[in-house]
Amino acid sequence: MISEPFALGNSPLHRCDPRIRLVSAAVYSFVVALSHEFQALAAALVLSMVLLSLARLQVREIFKRLAVVNGLVVLLWLVIPFTFPGEALFRIGPLHASRQAIVLAAQITLKSNAILLAFIALVATMPLATLGHALNQLRVPDKIVHLLLMTYRYVFVLDQEYQRLMRAVKIRGFQPATNLHTYRTYAYVVGMLFVRAAERAERVQQAMLCRGFKRKFYCLQEFKAGRGGVIFSLLMSAALLGIVAIELRTAL
Amino acid sequence: MHISEGVLSGPVLLSGAALAAAGTAIGLKKLDYDQIAKAGMLSGAFFVASLIHVPLGPMSVHLIMNGLVGLLLGWAAFPAILVALALQAVFFQFGGITALGVNTTLMALPAVFCYFAFSPLLFHRRPLVVLAAAFGCGFLSVFLSGVIASMALMFTEENFWSVAAMVVAAHVPIMIIEGIVTALCVVFLKKVQPSMLPAYSRKDGL
Amino acid sequence: MTAGKTLISLIGVSFSYPGGQPVLRNLDFNLNSGDRVGIIAPNGSGKTTLFHLIMGLLKPLSGRIEIFGKAVREENDFAEVRRRIGLLFQDADDQLFSPTVLEDVAFGPLNLGKPKDEAIAIARRTLTFLGLSGFEDRITFKLSGGEKRLVSLATVLAMEPEVLLLDEPGNGLDVRTRAALVEILRGLDQSYILISHELDFITATTNTVYTMQNGKIRTDQELSVHQHVHAHPIGSCPHEHCTPEDAHRAEPPLITEK
Repeated sequence: MISEPFALGNSPLHRCDPRIRLVSAAVYSFVVALSHEFQALAAALVLSMVLLSLARLQVREIFKRLAVVNGLVVLLWLVIPFTFPGEALFRIGPLHASRQAIVLAAQITLKSNAILLAFIALVATMPLATLGHALNQLRVPDKIVHLLLMTYRYVFVLDQEYQRLMRAVKIRGFQPATNLHTYRTYAYVVGMLFVRAAERAERVQQAMLCRGFKRKFYCLQEFKAGRGGVIFSLLMSAALLGIVAIELRTAL
Repeated sequence: MHISEGVLSGPVLLSGAALAAAGTAIGLKKLDYDQIAKAGMLSGAFFVASLIHVPLGPMSVHLIMNGLVGLLLGWAAFPAILVALALQAVFFQFGGITALGVNTTLMALPAVFCYFAFSPLLFHRRPLVVLAAAFGCGFLSVFLSGVIASMALMFTEENFWSVAAMVVAAHVPIMIIEGIVTALCVVFLKKVQPSMLPAYSRKDGL
Repeated sequence: MTAGKTLISLIGVSFSYPGGQPVLRNLDFNLNSGDRVGIIAPNGSGKTTLFHLIMGLLKPLSGRIEIFGKAVREENDFAEVRRRIGLLFQDADDQLFSPTVLEDVAFGPLNLGKPKDEAIAIARRTLTFLGLSGFEDRITFKLSGGEKRLVSLATVLAMEPEVLLLDEPGNGLDVRTRAALVEILRGLDQSYILISHELDFITATTNTVYTMQNGKIRTDQELSVHQHVHAHPIGSCPHEHCTPEDAHRAEPPLITEK
């Protein structure tokens, strides 16, 4: 089932201007993604955790997200140390673990986790409708925002249609296995999902026409930065400059 | 298929973003405002389809279906896939802001390629050709996505070849499943609602 | 009942979907101001098609459609029709395409060129009128079935239409919401055409009930819905009745109460 577990709340971060949160998240993600020094990355991880604690979210849901990302990270740790050339840090039988690769794996681990946590704290804490409006006010083209909001609106409806189709298939004794019958069944379910989506699109298009749609997208929500927003931007900018400074100082 | 945040290098992230922006711009230009509902709905269907897990031996893999989206939307697959990936990032934190461009490119570029390569064959007289084209679309779209993902990894760090090879190898069974599902899906659509395929209106020209 | 001026007039309208059987055959129909017409007919008899023809979503194969005394034919003619006639869709999920309630209700007024503040004010007013104040920021998808129907009605009323076309508005509602909707419809100023399967709903909200048969609206035969009370042996078991006329035509009666 699709849900937005972090979107609602009344923390200081939830109340902060979504535009500021979005821009902060984007700048922060790029700064972290492009940093290499461990001190800078460690500082970033601390900042992410501070942000997360400000957002006051369900810890269980956060760990679920961390598990997915770190599943991939573990895979990386299993593969790259033994396939990189260079100075060996240690050996397991015929395999020798490259120092360079271990450094890289550690960097990726820190970066992925830091970016993920900040994204949860800053972006996943707004309902998607709000995200769309914030994007629109940040000059993202109308068409793409309209498309995003339309997709968001109907993802739930389509998911329900899919669940209905699967129930209909299951009550007739369908048991998925690795065979052509299974794949054919799924192909028909997916096909039906797309057919229903297209038919609904036509009806929605008609509903829009009936209400005088003039090929223009209007955005009603307006945001105010307020004093909290200004303070947040200042603190966030200072923290980001700090991370950049650590990165540059250590790198040079 | 997506690449996580924090893995790729700056130049790769920027090239991915630039390609995605260019593709999306073309897609939006070709997407008339009257088709917003259709593109949004198909983007939603693509999102839901990517949550479907099909069995593969003792494991299960999720469908990708970017080939089919390409067949249905052509260039408009770029904005549609971009939006679906943005939703995935916000809902599940699969991917994020920095890798959104790369992830969009690796899914949407093969979709557009498949549209131009295979949709002219979908209304061929011989059913076997149609089946082969649709299978090729499903298979190749995932294969090319794997190739682009590998390239993104290799350009980041040339020693990533092992990871890149793993990505492609792990997707071989998925390519076959996608090929089969896409082929049967096209057969289904041709029977039930052929007008959904853009190639339908041009079939007389073939 | 025909005192008011003619709002909608269909003259000899025929329609069929591509490759399909004719749905409407040479249909004639008038809606006059003050009319509240109910149409009751089996599935597939062309009721929804009729509404879509009036709104210009479908084009008739032949015949004339006149709305507010003007023949409408081209897409441009219908821009005005859509401003002055509001269509309530059968499936509220089709009608509510914006993520939040306020945006959806304000969508119509914005398209009519109202400035943002005014559109929002109209939307709030309409929501309050329907007893939906406080719903502004609700996510449309997460509304219950009854709430969705009422918000859909709000999106239509917010455009201040002169005529309403209501496509099965009572369908799938719980008893309380249905009663609320009946009250709302009875209190409206607009003339409307209402399609429904439900006898009690249609009699509560309209003053003339017609049926459709062979692609036509049977205006020659106004239905009067009524109930009989009678008694006979084994009357407590489910059973059907035949009128002598029906028996003579060997056809089931058009409508039997379940």
